[in-house]
Amino acid sequence: MAQLTARFRTENRRYTVEDVPFSVPAASETTDLSQLINKLLAAGNADHKYVEFDFLINGQFLRMPLVTHMEMENISTEEVVEIEYVEKYMAPQPEECIFHDDWISSVQATEEWILTGCYDQTARIWSLEGKSIMTIAGHTEVVKDVAWVKQDSLSCLLLSASMDQTVLLWEWNVEKNKVKALHCCRGHAGSVDSIAVDCTRTKFCSGSWDKMLKIWSAVPTDEEDEMEEGANRPRKKQKTEQLGLTRTPLATLSGHTEAVSSVLWIDAEEICSASWDHTIKLWDAETGDLKSTLTGNKVFNSVSYSPLCRRLASGSTDRHIRLWDPRSKDGSLVLLSLTSHTGWVTSVKWSPTHEHQLISGSLDNIVKLWDTRSCKAPLYDLAAHEDKVLCVDWTEGGLLLSGGADNKLYCYRYPTTASDVGA
Amino acid sequence: MELWDLRPHAEPHPGAPISSPVSHGHHLPQLLFTPLAPRGAAACSGAPNPPLTPFPSASLQDIRNTVGNIPMEWYQDFPHIGYDLEGKKIYKPIRNKDELDMFLEKMENPDYWRTVQDKMTGADIKLTDEQIDLVHRLQKGQFGDVHFNPYEPAVDFFTHEVMIHPVTNRPADKRSFIPSLIEKEKVSKLVHAIKMGWIKPRKPKDDTPTYYDLWAHEDPNSILGRHKMHVPAPKMKLPGHEESYNPPPEYLLSEEERLAWEQQEPAQRRLSFVPQQHRSLRAVPAFPRFIHERFERCLDLYLCPRQRKMRVNVDPEDLIPKLPKPRDLQPFPTTQALVYRGHTSLVRCLSISPSGQWLVSGSDDGSVRFWEVSTARCMKTLPVGGVVKSVAWNPNPTICLVAICVEQSVLLVNPCLGDKLLYGATDQLLESFVPPEEERVQPVQWVPATMEEHSKGIRLVVQHSKAVKQVTWHGKGDYFASVVSDNSNMQVLIHQSSKRWSQNPFRRSKGLVQCVLFHPIRPYFFVATQRYVRVYNLLKQELTKKLMTNCKWVSSMAIHPGGDNIICGSYDSKLAWFDLDLSTRPYQLLRHHKRALRSVAFHKHYPLFASGSDDGSVIVCHGMVYNDLLQNPLLVPVKVLKGHVLTLDLGVLDVLFHPTQPWVFSSGADGTIRLYT
Repeated sequence: MAQLTARFRTENRRYTVEDVPFSVPAASETTDLSQLINKLLAAGNADHKYVEFDFLINGQFLRMPLVTHMEMENISTEEVVEIEYVEKYMAPQPEECIFHDDWISSVQATEEWILTGCYDQTARIWSLEGKSIMTIAGHTEVVKDVAWVKQDSLSCLLLSASMDQTVLLWEWNVEKNKVKALHCCRGHAGSVDSIAVDCTRTKFCSGSWDKMLKIWSAVPTDEEDEMEEGANRPRKKQKTEQLGLTRTPLATLSGHTEAVSSVLWIDAEEICSASWDHTIKLWDAETGDLKSTLTGNKVFNSVSYSPLCRRLASGSTDRHIRLWDPRSKDGSLVLLSLTSHTGWVTSVKWSPTHEHQLISGSLDNIVKLWDTRSCKAPLYDLAAHEDKVLCVDWTEGGLLLSGGADNKLYCYRYPTTASDVGA
Repeated sequence: MELWDLRPHAEPHPGAPISSPVSHGHHLPQLLFTPLAPRGAAACSGAPNPPLTPFPSASLQDIRNTVGNIPMEWYQDFPHIGYDLEGKKIYKPIRNKDELDMFLEKMENPDYWRTVQDKMTGADIKLTDEQIDLVHRLQKGQFGDVHFNPYEPAVDFFTHEVMIHPVTNRPADKRSFIPSLIEKEKVSKLVHAIKMGWIKPRKPKDDTPTYYDLWAHEDPNSILGRHKMHVPAPKMKLPGHEESYNPPPEYLLSEEERLAWEQQEPAQRRLSFVPQQHRSLRAVPAFPRFIHERFERCLDLYLCPRQRKMRVNVDPEDLIPKLPKPRDLQPFPTTQALVYRGHTSLVRCLSISPSGQWLVSGSDDGSVRFWEVSTARCMKTLPVGGVVKSVAWNPNPTICLVAICVEQSVLLVNPCLGDKLLYGATDQLLESFVPPEEERVQPVQWVPATMEEHSKGIRLVVQHSKAVKQVTWHGKGDYFASVVSDNSNMQVLIHQSSKRWSQNPFRRSKGLVQCVLFHPIRPYFFVATQRYVRVYNLLKQELTKKLMTNCKWVSSMAIHPGGDNIICGSYDSKLAWFDLDLSTRPYQLLRHHKRALRSVAFHKHYPLFASGSDDGSVIVCHGMVYNDLLQNPLLVPVKVLKGHVLTLDLGVLDVLFHPTQPWVFSSGADGTIRLYT
């Protein structure tokens, strides 16, 4: 049996072992190494409990026999291998399955409530326990995206974007459990597919099928903006649109040649949009200028940004999740692709607390939890959906949410480990 | 005087032979005369003794010619013949005798024969008897002097006997008895040269006779080379088991076989002999057919067909045209991405909105469904109560209208999807119709939808007399054409939706029309019958072209967005690509499908075309059309897309490309629509 010399290292001080090279069997896998570490720890500390570990070699997770991994990564087996180990991420624990009446197009959750957009033209508010709190009806078409704007103990502001070309700004009175449409944002000439609220919670941006991005104010007022084409609209329509005061966009960003599928704010001044024209564009929110373009070769369905690692993750109409550096100027360089899905990746979301982890939903009915340190295989597959997954979300409280075409919203509790916080 | 003058010349020297009496020079050097003078016979030769004889030197010298020993021909054309000592010209004597005078003189003058001409002076000289005698003697080779005796007895100066006392007592030279130094040097040089190999021994003479190859330089490939056309004699068949003296029993003929063998004509027999078994080789008798067999062999050789088989040595790989690899031709659809489920029966037709957001499909279950492309969500279902043969979304992006063929009518439906302003404007456009004052006779009836139908989205119903099987829009979105299953000239109708006006463009039926198509740019109209595609110019109202499809039954047709290329699918599983600029025959005939083609489609932007077939597959091909007119289109099949389940022996019924992405939709008999990306 071939042996390798390895030195073990960890960031977590609770599990430190002696920094001497150990001889380990070349064919040992994660479980073998984990047992080895546990034995060492038990020898040093009598009341040590068994802990599963995961192992990293040069920042890559060990997912196969040690020697195979090193062959694939071109690491010399002659020298001492430095192996870092972290406490194994626990599998996400399923918590709730919330049934809807129709396909779930979008989800956004906070610490207390879950907001979902649904194909039955409503948005819904749920408690974390899965209790239906509020159904917001008002759109005349499918609700494509929802977003929280502001949360107080008394009232919340929230947004819903719909295929009926409007975005509605709602005020939800938590005490009375009443919802009121404050503003109806008109201006798009196609279904509004994506909305994103900026970090100051005063503005939001919307991306639409009509190839435009529009920036709106998210602050409720009592005045109605004037519509330019108000006069020649048919009168019949006007009656149905008396939901709240009409609002017009602050700015319009045009530049995409195809439908905009996803928008987000990178910081207070920068907007990122992904489109069907195979590009991700970065915009200056103040001036409305195009800052840079990342060009792919497939339609982008979804994009997500992590301020922790400053990377963009994109899901497109192929099997891959690609990571981009938004700072590279027109380099359109894919840093990494995560490949394990078998269908279009419809939705990606970075972990708000962990710089390496993200979650993705795909048309192959599977939600995958990824660690960018293992790009060949995900950490966990969450295969609960029976139909296409259309949206995923990850809250700061460690809740994973996914909704899809099987009318179900699944919630998973994913405990953030101590090392995550440290990272 | 002249004789005088000649004398010293005539006898210059008795011993010297004179070649000719006239040629000897008068100017012989004086020295010759002097010592020999005493021997001269002539008493008058007083040269050595001038004082003794009166010598008329002055007159003699005067006449001497001074030109020297030159050819006297040089003076032929001059009156003089030279110069005397004083430099005065010596004139030739006057000779005015002609041939006749000469002859007469020859006849008359007895001394003519002894007259010679002096070349130096040109004067005639009469030779004396002595002189003639001298000439005679010289001519005979005798000495000139009569008294000279050449045979006087010899006097021996030395005796021939060897005397005991030498005449001289000179000792022998030293060099006669010591080796020669010069020779030694020469020998040492030779020895050195031999040592150094400069001198080699002579090669022994090769006494083998040399032969010459007459045909060595003959070109073996020349046609005359007989050996090139050498045909080897046919080989004799090697003896088999039958020929053995002790063949295995299965080779021996049974009784019936032997009878049959005997009944057969000798030429018909498979074997020319009867296999026989012998105990040992000793028992084998003489072969009675030996001569016969040799004769047959000779006949074989003599009559064998001397024909050469031309074999072409071509690598089969070279015959395959060089096509680019599909990998280099991306993007094209490769995998199935979405399945649109909802129809309960076969989905016959597909169409897509110009923006690419919505898809419409018509099915045999009597419904038309509208789908969201990106999620496969069925947004709307429109029950129409009949088999939907064809749907067509208006290609004009500012009009939101779908034409649907249901049985005998074409429905114009506003799907109310997309921009509200657009579909509102479409309704307004249709409502703005003002009926003309006088009713025009139309082949069809335009009926506005009832309230119930209106709520479903149906705006207008165009009622035909017979079942409609296809509808297609013109690129501008106002006109559309419909095809009726009929055998008359009413098969094709062109309608104008804004004016609610229909017309029948053709007076006569040219066959069963399969499908029609508008040219995307120019005012052309394509009508596909079973075997031909006719191209009509709508402005000039005439037939422009007739394309021969080389197919038995055309099923579908699509036009390249550039407008110069057409593809036709046929029920005999062929796809014909026409280059309209090139020929009326197919540029290429692709036979990739195993069964009948139901539908063909071009992509609007990407160089792609697809065909759907009854074998359940969609074949995507790369079809690059170049702007350069000299370069023919490049057709490369790139992908076979499978996914549809064969139902009722039908596979794919319609294919359609997404307007902006390299995606292809296919609708199948299994009630699904599939999107491949």
